[in-house]
Amino acid sequence: MIEEWVVGTLSRTLAYGTPLLLATLGEIYSERSGVLNLGVEGMMILGAVSAFATAFITGNPWLGMLVAGIAGALASLIHGFVSITLRANQVVSGLALTMLGLGLSGLFGKGFEGKPLNSTITNVTVPVLKDIPYLGEILFVDQSPIVYIAIILTPVLSFILFHTSLGITIRSVGENPSAADSAGINVWLVRYFCVVTGGILAGFAGGYLSIAYRPAWTQGMTSGMGWLVIALTIFASWNPSRGLVGAFLFGALMHLSFRLQPWVAPELLKMMPYGSAILALVIISLGSLKKSMGAPNALQQPYIRGEK
Amino acid sequence: MNHKCVKVVSLLVAVSLIFAGFAAVGFAEEHNKLKAGFIYVGPVGDYGYSKGHDVGREYVEEIFPWLETFYVENVAPSDVESTIDQFVNNRDADVIFTTSFGHMNPTISAAKKYQNTIFFHCSGYKRAKNVGTYFSGLYQTYYLSGLMAGALTKTDKLGYVGAFPTPEVKRHINAFAIGIHEANPDATLHVRWLNAWVDPSGAKEATQALLEEGVDGFAFTEDTPTVLQTAQENDAFSFSHYNPMYRFAEDAAVSGQISNWGVIYADILYKVYYGVYTNENLEGVDYWWLLKEGAAELGAKRGMPINPKYVDELKSKTVEDPILGKISVYDLIMKRMEQMKADRVTFDPFVGPMKDRQGIQRLKDGEWATHDELWQIQWAYPNVKGPWPDEPKE
Repeated sequence: MIEEWVVGTLSRTLAYGTPLLLATLGEIYSERSGVLNLGVEGMMILGAVSAFATAFITGNPWLGMLVAGIAGALASLIHGFVSITLRANQVVSGLALTMLGLGLSGLFGKGFEGKPLNSTITNVTVPVLKDIPYLGEILFVDQSPIVYIAIILTPVLSFILFHTSLGITIRSVGENPSAADSAGINVWLVRYFCVVTGGILAGFAGGYLSIAYRPAWTQGMTSGMGWLVIALTIFASWNPSRGLVGAFLFGALMHLSFRLQPWVAPELLKMMPYGSAILALVIISLGSLKKSMGAPNALQQPYIRGEK
Repeated sequence: MNHKCVKVVSLLVAVSLIFAGFAAVGFAEEHNKLKAGFIYVGPVGDYGYSKGHDVGREYVEEIFPWLETFYVENVAPSDVESTIDQFVNNRDADVIFTTSFGHMNPTISAAKKYQNTIFFHCSGYKRAKNVGTYFSGLYQTYYLSGLMAGALTKTDKLGYVGAFPTPEVKRHINAFAIGIHEANPDATLHVRWLNAWVDPSGAKEATQALLEEGVDGFAFTEDTPTVLQTAQENDAFSFSHYNPMYRFAEDAAVSGQISNWGVIYADILYKVYYGVYTNENLEGVDYWWLLKEGAAELGAKRGMPINPKYVDELKSKTVEDPILGKISVYDLIMKRMEQMKADRVTFDPFVGPMKDRQGIQRLKDGEWATHDELWQIQWAYPNVKGPWPDEPKE
């Protein structure tokens, strides 16, 4: 009984945590290079609508995922242009991107409302591996392939960030752009690269929602997940592996808010991810802790060559 | 004055007269059109509540050639008055529909300001000489769905994913529970709350959570087909809600309730156009339309009350009814539908004796729940399990 309970909960945790994880990985890259992107919600929902539209029209859900990534990338370029090239306030630009994304997706999505999708990314059960006790049932029975992609991406992106020269370049741009610049690194290029990476992954996260997790398009269907991602990035202290832990923890809380409803007030359970997000934001705002949390030093600072 | 000049002038006069004539005709046509503005609380794209109203708007726009309609979506209560200002001043609206409970007070105050405009507010209780109210009730169809759910469940556990614990949602859950109990006294109904009208991810997880608890059939109040789709993925069954959702889950969708605001809008606008309703006589106009009036329809698809895949099973299950005797669930559903659709309604799910789940007597023997009792219902039917905010203690 208890085993069944735990296995069921963990299996659902993966399904719900996956979009959070994908988008968080992207946001970690963006912020590691010094660009805070509050437009995650907007990029996700643009990914969701374009993935659905593509899968609906072409009948190919994987093409839908690809287009979702492209849509996310294009959306992130807007933020990149405004905050990197024009050096405008990152908070304002990101918020604008979220609103723009929500609005545009509603507009483009009008024709796809209430349409069932016949070609979705279906869940898979992996033979052999499914027989591993517990783990098999949690990970390899009736799980979306995108869950695996997200989980595999985590160590890969972590390795790149901490153990390759590309990773060092990204982090140095986020820590001290002028030093990086004098070392011959193209700060703008690196930042654009990271922001676009964030956009692609947020787009994937949205695509997962509309063609795998819940195959349908509804206006506003990301329902605040993008904001959880912002919180998760801080929660994870800009570390992809900790992002995985955080995303699945949030996923578990979300699922448990329904499992535990007969015993615990649902409002309380549903508040927990947001509560921990606020807590994380408070911690990051306390300047002295900023360093120990591992926040990139130049986060939110537009880089202007020649200035300190 | 020479001839040529006269000719030119008279030609010009003639031409301008023709233009004036066209203009007058155009003006008359413009003027004769009744203009109705709709204010929605949510996005039309939610495939739920606001979509339901918009389908109604499209319906009246199509059937009445003399009608022009327009709408604004996503209008929060605080923005209702300014939207009404716009409708009246810039778009010459003759009739304005405000469609959410939260729109009530701003509608009443705007109606004082624009005394020549006719207002209709959906789901509220405040009226004025130029403000009528209307609502369509789905509880009867929920009851019929409950009969099916009780007969079809293999685990004797049914689930309900509810949006907010409002009287309307509670009325639906209770009606569903009453139907379940009638078809299967052993079955229980497990409720989970989303605390959101639109939350597909939450609806998905709530459904999954209930599935893990052994639930095999669902009904819900959430503005997307998520619960239905999740049931389909897991070989469970579900009832569609609000809009026809059959095509999302052709195996899982047994039946459901379809809201038909169009018939109410048609009745109101027709009576406004022909002068039955004016800005002086709406104080007592309140629509509470149900199955009988066609404001609610049974089914997951228009014209299909029960998914043919489930008909045989419903015909094979029988129940013992004190009046009808031994009867198949299918026949019982048809009989109840007939009784609720008759000119003189002879059946209602909420008829006493009825106790709530705490054992408190809610309806005396043979007593029918009144409109107000149904409107304000807070208690839970005995087979309802799970959290129930604001449960009355007496």
